Amino acid sequence: MAYVIPKETYSGKVASMTIGEGAKSIAIGGENTMPFLSFEGAIPNRPVIAMEIQDITPDDWPDNLKKYYNGYYDDAAKWAKFCVEQLNAKAIALRLVGTHPDKQDRSAEDAAKTVKEVLSVVDVPLIILGSNHIEKDASVIVAAAEAATGKNCIIGKAQEGNYKTIVAAALAHKHKLIAMSELDINLAKQLNILITQMGFETDRLLTDPMCSALGYGLEYTYSVMERIRLAALTQNDTTMQPPIVGDVGMYVWKTKEVSASEEDMPQWGSLEERGIAWEVVTAMGMLLAGANLLIMRHPKAVEKAEKVIEELTKG
Amino acid sequence: MALSGVEIFKLLPKTNCKKCGFPTCLAFAMKLAQRQASLDACPDVSEEAKKILGEASAPPVRAIILGAGDKAVKMGEETVLFRHEKRFVNPCAFAVNIKDSESDNEIEKKVAMVIASEIDRVGQKLRIDAISIECASNDAVRYEAVTRMVSSRAPDTPIILNCFNASAAEAAVKAIADKKPLLYGARLDNLDAMVNIAKAHKTPLGLYAEGPEALSSLAEKAKAMGVEDIVIDPGAKSAKGIIEGNTQIRRAAIKKNFKPLGYPIINIVMKDDPLIETAIASVAIAKYASIVVLSSIERWKNLALFTLRQNLYTDPQVPMQVEQKIYKIGEPGPDAPLMITTNFSLTYFIVSGEVENSKVPSRLAVMDCEGLSVLTAWAAGKFTASRIAQFIKESGVENEVKHRELIIPGQVAILSGTLEDKLEGWKIIVGPREANGLPTFLKTKAA
Amino acid sequence: MIVIGEKISIIAKKVREAMTNRDPKPIQEIASAQWKAGAHMIDVNIGPAEEKGEDLMTWMVNIIQEVVPLPLCLDTTNSNALEAGLKAHNNQWGRALINSTSNEPERFVMLELAARHNAQVIGLTLGKGGLPADAEERAAIASEIMARAMEYGLPLEDLFLDPLILQVCTMQSHAMHAIKAVRMFQELNDPPMKTVVGLSNISNGAPKDMRSLIDRTFLTLLMHEGLTAAIMNPLDKDLMAVMKTTDIFLGKTLYAHSYLEM
Repeated sequence: MAYVIPKETYSGKVASMTIGEGAKSIAIGGENTMPFLSFEGAIPNRPVIAMEIQDITPDDWPDNLKKYYNGYYDDAAKWAKFCVEQLNAKAIALRLVGTHPDKQDRSAEDAAKTVKEVLSVVDVPLIILGSNHIEKDASVIVAAAEAATGKNCIIGKAQEGNYKTIVAAALAHKHKLIAMSELDINLAKQLNILITQMGFETDRLLTDPMCSALGYGLEYTYSVMERIRLAALTQNDTTMQPPIVGDVGMYVWKTKEVSASEEDMPQWGSLEERGIAWEVVTAMGMLLAGANLLIMRHPKAVEKAEKVIEELTKG
Repeated sequence: MALSGVEIFKLLPKTNCKKCGFPTCLAFAMKLAQRQASLDACPDVSEEAKKILGEASAPPVRAIILGAGDKAVKMGEETVLFRHEKRFVNPCAFAVNIKDSESDNEIEKKVAMVIASEIDRVGQKLRIDAISIECASNDAVRYEAVTRMVSSRAPDTPIILNCFNASAAEAAVKAIADKKPLLYGARLDNLDAMVNIAKAHKTPLGLYAEGPEALSSLAEKAKAMGVEDIVIDPGAKSAKGIIEGNTQIRRAAIKKNFKPLGYPIINIVMKDDPLIETAIASVAIAKYASIVVLSSIERWKNLALFTLRQNLYTDPQVPMQVEQKIYKIGEPGPDAPLMITTNFSLTYFIVSGEVENSKVPSRLAVMDCEGLSVLTAWAAGKFTASRIAQFIKESGVENEVKHRELIIPGQVAILSGTLEDKLEGWKIIVGPREANGLPTFLKTKAA
Repeated sequence: MIVIGEKISIIAKKVREAMTNRDPKPIQEIASAQWKAGAHMIDVNIGPAEEKGEDLMTWMVNIIQEVVPLPLCLDTTNSNALEAGLKAHNNQWGRALINSTSNEPERFVMLELAARHNAQVIGLTLGKGGLPADAEERAAIASEIMARAMEYGLPLEDLFLDPLILQVCTMQSHAMHAIKAVRMFQELNDPPMKTVVGLSNISNGAPKDMRSLIDRTFLTLLMHEGLTAAIMNPLDKDLMAVMKTTDIFLGKTLYAHSYLEM
């Protein structure tokens, strides 16, 4: 029996887009095959990892993560600069978690100020995220989008409950936009339809089907992402063609596995590596399922994931 | 292609004798069609039917057993490329590689770590499944001695004889033939000798070639020489090689029914940096490996890889469930509110997340309803007043809280009256219909 | 095709209140309206009915059959209530249908009740351990239910196999699995097995103004595969019209310009 390479031909492809301005802007998406299968299609751009920073000192990060950024928490701009210059971050994700009413309830103006400060010191693409509070995000992200006018950022996340104002802000200030739904491919498609019906083009939209950490529902996200990618490629479904976002860090760093001490859990081994491995393996899951942009926290996890992405894209 | 249940049924004796363990020939036929039963279970099937069914019912990826006894691992039998289509069937085995050139002391230490690798996660016992013994010395005497030593220290653990030297391999196989080691392996240059050893000692044979095409012609040769149980290695060294090689192999087997590649895949994933090894092993786990050979044992690495394998091999049709118990959110005192919901994991994640958002320390009673959501569980008679009452009484929560108030999901408000009758002394409070109403509900209640 | 009217269900507020207050009028009105709209059988869904289920089902059967000359489809997981309903059922209009058994051991009692009371029964192709993945798994469960039915002495002609309709808005692939299963079920026996679906499950969760369209399109495909019966809304005129038109294409009724009025 003669072997013939079993190639798939797909009718669709993932939308491609550029984020950021200037020499360090980055292109993502554009592939017309399932992840990393370059034997049957073109993968013009590699997945990108953005390093997460926050507008306040995180009160829920375990020490084994927190220690890497000691001395930078009081100033988001300083923190961003450290990530870019010392840790070689290719993109920064600024999470305005301090605006959440249950955190510091920072105002939209404060958030806009932080955005400006960060933009003044970094030249890599910036992703601006709210605190995941539907009502508050509507005002915070609008103000942040305005503060970042002309910087071609990604803003988000627009959800069913607040997408109208956030989409309008992305349109007005020419940003890319993350649309997020909760682990349901049909709801993801519905939200993308609603957003494009507002005149927002698919090739400026990113889709976040909601991440889950290793051991905490990772398989749900994995399959939803795979199905989104398959719909984009095999059915040429334009509403499913936006690049996929995996917001890895925030789900990983609240699990028991990244914080339980070796004294409490001797059978789980070294806490230091365990935390990194948890974020790396979760990231790998998302990449293999089709994610184009990951948001991560631990500098070592980012470094290892970058290395494997290199291997997966260059051979 | 595969026969349908009805087509298979026509070839069976139709005696409904039940000797196969199924109530009728038809039920047995349906199970055969799904590859959940073996034709061997029918003692009366005709030779002709056996031949037709044997060919048609052979799974696209052949089932191979690694090792013998209680800790033997079944591999292969996969039917899909994506886990959402239908469950991935047999989770891949993890093996740790030991070189015979290492000191006896070092080897014994590693074997002991393999034996101690078992951990319990969500009710499943997970462990390093096998030991790969690499013939790095190229010395048959040393290799046989190490094989004997490993085998005696880990008598139940399946063994992979990672050895391309035919005389060393033969000595080692002879020493532990009863353990049914995987003989890995055969290349084009040693195929004849390796096939003869595998046949003589009835062990499965691992084949190595660079890339799926060379591998398929090697597998055809081995099969023509009389070896049935085969495991294949496309020679991938990098993450890229693994994902592309494995994908091509699995696609050829499943979509094209290409028999020469219809075997379990073995990937050797050995890197100096254990975190990189972990990441590349993740690629192999997700993308179709049946055996992943690792270079080292670290408990944190095992935990991460075991968990990934467990996640990806769960049945997408079975709702993920959480354990039935009273969960504490924050640090609830004896006056903290008590809510109840079902054990469908998404329900639990969403409800507990909203309770956390409320910042009101609470207790959440999660009741086993076979992973159904609230309304479905109620409709199916699993989330009913008497069951809830029984669970609350048996949970011991009455000793933890001073009050006697139970908050039920708004969707099953209908239960409140009956539940008050069944749960004597308790007041039933109807909560919000959707979980996102919980923060306001709890804050208002606490105020 | 046999139309089983679905409107008398504890899920509906009006019905639930009438059940609680033992007020026959609203229930009789709904039963009557479904009969006049062309239902051949009336589903009586009283929910899990843990409390006084026997009284409730007996009362329901009596008041409904007072006003409609139709057999009933008795729908509860409470087997005592179900048996009470079977005892009260007036077989003059046809035999009762039990909704339902499945391949879960706690539901086998429904087969026993069907055999004992000369009733028919719906076999929902659901077993322990999650939803069936595809049509083949549904057929495998169906064959186990069939074997079980024979053990209880229930003729296979009295068993209606239900492929388990799931909502398309979250479980899209199951729509096709169910359609294929309807075909496969018939092949499990000679004469072919009877089949039934809970039709409106398909549009559960979809926007209200989409539901009828989704129901009737799906019904067409199921009928093409040979569906015997559907628990559905006979008061949905568009749905009934589509059913009658499909029966024309399938050669089940003779064409005349006014076939819809028949």
